[in-house]
Amino acid sequence: MPTILRAIIGYFVLLLVVRVLKRRAGAQMTLFEFVLIFLIGGVVILSTVGEDRSVTNCTCAVIAVALIHRTLAWAKSKNPRLGALLDGTPLIIINKGEWQQEVAEGMYLRHEDLEAAARSANIPRVEDIDYAILERNGSISVFPKEQ
Amino acid sequence: MPEPTVIDSATDSIPKVHDEVSVGANLEFQRKWWRFEHIVWSVFFLILLADLLGAFGRGWLAKAHRSTPDQALTVDYERIARASTPSILSLHFSPPAIRDNHIQVFLSDSIIQQLGAQRISPQPVVSAAGEGGITYTFAATRAPAIVQISLQPQFPGSHAFRIQLANEPAIQASTFVLP
Repeated sequence: MPTILRAIIGYFVLLLVVRVLKRRAGAQMTLFEFVLIFLIGGVVILSTVGEDRSVTNCTCAVIAVALIHRTLAWAKSKNPRLGALLDGTPLIIINKGEWQQEVAEGMYLRHEDLEAAARSANIPRVEDIDYAILERNGSISVFPKEQ
Repeated sequence: MPEPTVIDSATDSIPKVHDEVSVGANLEFQRKWWRFEHIVWSVFFLILLADLLGAFGRGWLAKAHRSTPDQALTVDYERIARASTPSILSLHFSPPAIRDNHIQVFLSDSIIQQLGAQRISPQPVVSAAGEGGITYTFAATRAPAIVQISLQPQFPGSHAFRIQLANEPAIQASTFVLP
C-alpha cells in the first residue's frame, strides 16, 4: 500500500516538474537533457520503492504507474482541456514568414533550433519557411513558402 | 463494421492559421500557462530554501533541545525528521545526573516504537521495561557524559516522547516525521 501511494505521488510530482520544464525536455534530447531525465527518474525510483526492493514491491509500483498513465490517457481523450493542461498545445513560431518573438522567448527557443528543423525538412534557409510550429512533443514542424 | 469518419474542411474542428494550416494553437492558454509556470517555479524555489534551512528535517530549523531546570539532563533532538532516515537523539548529562557512578534514565516507548530506536551508545548496564517505557542504567565516571540513540522512524506523523532522570521532572517533546 505505501509503495502504491508513493508511486502515485511520484508520478504526479514528476508530471508537474516535466510539464513546467520547457518543452524541449521531451524531444530533440541533447546529452544535457538526458542527464536531467535520468537523474530525476533515478531519484523518484529511490523514494517509490523505499527499502523494499523485492520483485513483488517493484511489480506493484510498475503496475500502479501504468494504471495512472492509462487512466490519464483515457481522461485526456475524453477531455481536450485536460489534454492541453497535461501536454500543452502546439505553438506557432513562424506565422506567414513572421517570427513570433513572444512564443520564442516564452519557450526559450533559439534560432539554431529552427535552423535545425529547417535543415531536417530540406529547407536551406529559415527565410524560406512559411509556417513553423512547435509541437506538443517538442519537435518543430516546418512548412516552406510556396515557390 | 463501423463506417470510417471522413475528415474534410467542413468537419475538421481544429482551428486553422490563415485558413491554411490546421494547428490548434491556443496562445491565450499558453500565456496563462506561462504565468502558472512562474508561480510553480517560485514555489519550487521556496521549497528548496525551506529545505536548506531545515524546515523538512536535517537542518538548522529541525534541531531542538530541551533541558531539566537544573540542567542535569539536556536532550538534543530533531523536531522534524524524515521517515526511514536516520537521526540522532543525544542525552547530555551534567554532575547532578550521576549518582554512585551510574546514570538512570527513563525513555518512553514512543522512542523505541514510533521513532524507531536502532542503537544506544554506550550500551546500558541494565534495561528494565515498565511504566510505558524502558529505564536504562548506564555506567558513568564523571560529567559531562553523553548517551546517543540512533533513530530511524518508519511512519509519518507527530510522535510525542518523554525522557526522565530519576527524581527529576520529565522532559517532554515531540518529533514530526515527514513522509
